[in-house]
Amino acid sequence: MNDIPRSRVGRVFDWFDRRLPVSTLWRTQLTEYAAPKNFNIWYVFGSLALLVLVMQLATGLFLAIHYQPNPDLAYWSVVRTIQRDSRWGWLIRDMHVVGASAFFVLVYLHMYRGILYGSYKKPRELLWLIGIFVYLALAAEAFLGYLLPWGQMSYWGSAVVTNFVTALPWIGKPIAQWLRGSFVVGLPTLNRFFVFHVFLMPVLLLALVLVHLIALHQVGSNNPDGVEIHENNNDTGWPRDGIPFHPYYTVKDLFAVSVFFIVFFWFVFYRPDGWGFMLDKLNYTPANILHTPSDIHPLWFFLPFYAMLRGVPDKLFGILAFACSFVLLACLPLLDRNPIRSIRYRSVLYKSNLLAMPLSFIWLGYIAHGQATEHNMVYGLHVTEVFYATFLVLPFFNRARTRLTALIWLLVCEAVVWSIDAWMYSIHAHGWELMLQTNWIPSLYLLLLFGLAMLVPAWTKDAGQLPERLTAGGVFH
Amino acid sequence: MSAHFSITRSVGPWLLLLGASLFSGNALASVQSTQPPLRPITISLRDHAALRTGALYTLHMCVACHSIQGTRYSELPPVLGLDKQTFIATIGTNGQHFHDTINSAMSQSLMLKFLGVAPPDLTEIAGRHSPAWLYTYLTSFYVDPSRPTGSNNVVFYNVGMPDVFASMQGLQKPVIVKGLRYGSPAEVAVGVRPLTAGSMTHAQFDRTARDIVTFLYAVAHPHQQERMRLGRWIIGLFILLSVLTYLIYRVYWSRVITAKQRWWKAR
Repeated sequence: MNDIPRSRVGRVFDWFDRRLPVSTLWRTQLTEYAAPKNFNIWYVFGSLALLVLVMQLATGLFLAIHYQPNPDLAYWSVVRTIQRDSRWGWLIRDMHVVGASAFFVLVYLHMYRGILYGSYKKPRELLWLIGIFVYLALAAEAFLGYLLPWGQMSYWGSAVVTNFVTALPWIGKPIAQWLRGSFVVGLPTLNRFFVFHVFLMPVLLLALVLVHLIALHQVGSNNPDGVEIHENNNDTGWPRDGIPFHPYYTVKDLFAVSVFFIVFFWFVFYRPDGWGFMLDKLNYTPANILHTPSDIHPLWFFLPFYAMLRGVPDKLFGILAFACSFVLLACLPLLDRNPIRSIRYRSVLYKSNLLAMPLSFIWLGYIAHGQATEHNMVYGLHVTEVFYATFLVLPFFNRARTRLTALIWLLVCEAVVWSIDAWMYSIHAHGWELMLQTNWIPSLYLLLLFGLAMLVPAWTKDAGQLPERLTAGGVFH
Repeated sequence: MSAHFSITRSVGPWLLLLGASLFSGNALASVQSTQPPLRPITISLRDHAALRTGALYTLHMCVACHSIQGTRYSELPPVLGLDKQTFIATIGTNGQHFHDTINSAMSQSLMLKFLGVAPPDLTEIAGRHSPAWLYTYLTSFYVDPSRPTGSNNVVFYNVGMPDVFASMQGLQKPVIVKGLRYGSPAEVAVGVRPLTAGSMTHAQFDRTARDIVTFLYAVAHPHQQERMRLGRWIIGLFILLSVLTYLIYRVYWSRVITAKQRWWKAR
């Protein structure tokens, strides 16, 4: 390198490079960072989520310039100042609205990718845990931002959620007052939610994402085969199944970004309210503190959690049940201790269980989208049991199991499900007939899972032999 | 043992209950109300004649009580296909400045006193409700002596707004069926029949209502036309970009794919 005379620009670059590790970072983190060759379509959602984060920061900046965090002005600053008086304000606002939903779609897919290919297993447990915190920060950010347009649903949604804390005995009410800065959601609440939404949470989110990326680059990416590429290096120490992240994955991600933007901008231009899912119809009415809507809903990405909350008749236990889903996600490395990472080499029943996980989650969302009838509440409770079961049965698949073990698992799990129902009945939460309408759902799920494990033991067996190197089964080949 | 014990008698009712409850569905405990059918409507934001008529009625009648705070008079001429002078001469700004937002003539606190509820702002009313709902709402006020205003509405039960269309549309009587209101059996109005004649024929009034809905829709979706036009270009651009980036991706990855194929053959 020193033999070649440097150009003027090159010398300026060298001056910086000696003082800031530009080329070192570029080399170690991009051009000489080995990524497995066989990433499939599931592996684009992480970088797309990062792109959406940047887009939300950029559009949010312009929105914050025109927004007024004051109950008298907030609604009109969005509807008039941003959407009508400012040039391109409508576009920026709709990009921010659709961006919020896109963020959750991408993050949910990204998380499910991690579950499919066992990306939470050693040595990536911490990476997974940091990811859960990114999700929590994102959820908080979305919740805080939803109050800002000061529509009916914004107001009452925030009123309901800030009311959750009052479930805590003794300290609940003072804490709720402290959070809101008032007895009800009002000016102090709007002011602090605005500050948290535009300052605190974005900083936290960026920091967590950075830590997530640092942790990723420390342990390296997992891949659809779940084979550790760094265990098979050539003489120069480069993994035989690795390729440099740049340019291979940067060009691939560029293609993914282009396709993503087709869908994203279709929504922005043609369905900015996402059929009422991305922007609730009730939010076209300014917040009215004297008029409670008959049906208060969160946006689509929180609906499944809302069904869990509604399903349990006690507020405190409901919140615990809903918080439990994050604990279960965080505990995934402890629950699934099977050495095989990828779903490709796992048993038939394990695969089915992993399919039931998102299906029951979507089902919960569908239930919560309905009215808060008693039927829907009980229904939500029983589908919540299925969702939790998909996590709690994971230890069953840790190794090959006998028929007797499957039988014991079936009896214990059914006993748990039925005792929850018995307990619900004992506190007269719901009538028998309502309970009976839907409690076959978790019972049948467990019966199918463990019954098939007993009838067809082959379906509980993982693949006999794992490949030593990556297979050629990528999505483009 | 007692002869009274029989398995059928002890389990039978439970089985029956189980069976009944499995198929009884949602109706047991839901908070349902009978939904009156909405009148279908087709509107077009390119229909300038409809928009102008709608603007005329909205700005001269509705705005007596309702505000359209999100919109300024100055935004309307391009929407209606008029220039500023024609707009001021034919529709006017109700004595307000051309760049003012459209505010109601009545004070909201007075309206609250008169009707018990302040009339909602109309800026985003067509975002809150579908055009079909608004059209049905505007055309289905009926006489109801039990209400303080003397009228009620098919799609908005116990509405606070009086039947301001009576002089144009004439009075109407409800078509009542036995149905549900908030889960309990009740007599529900699902349509209207004419009672007295108004200054307009029914076809004329329906057209006027449609024009008002068209105008309200245009007010709630001020960038609709621009959206449609711009959207095509932006999406076209990203389709083109997808093709280009896919080609670049294939060029870069051709080497990797070859290596993989070689690896396949070696097995």
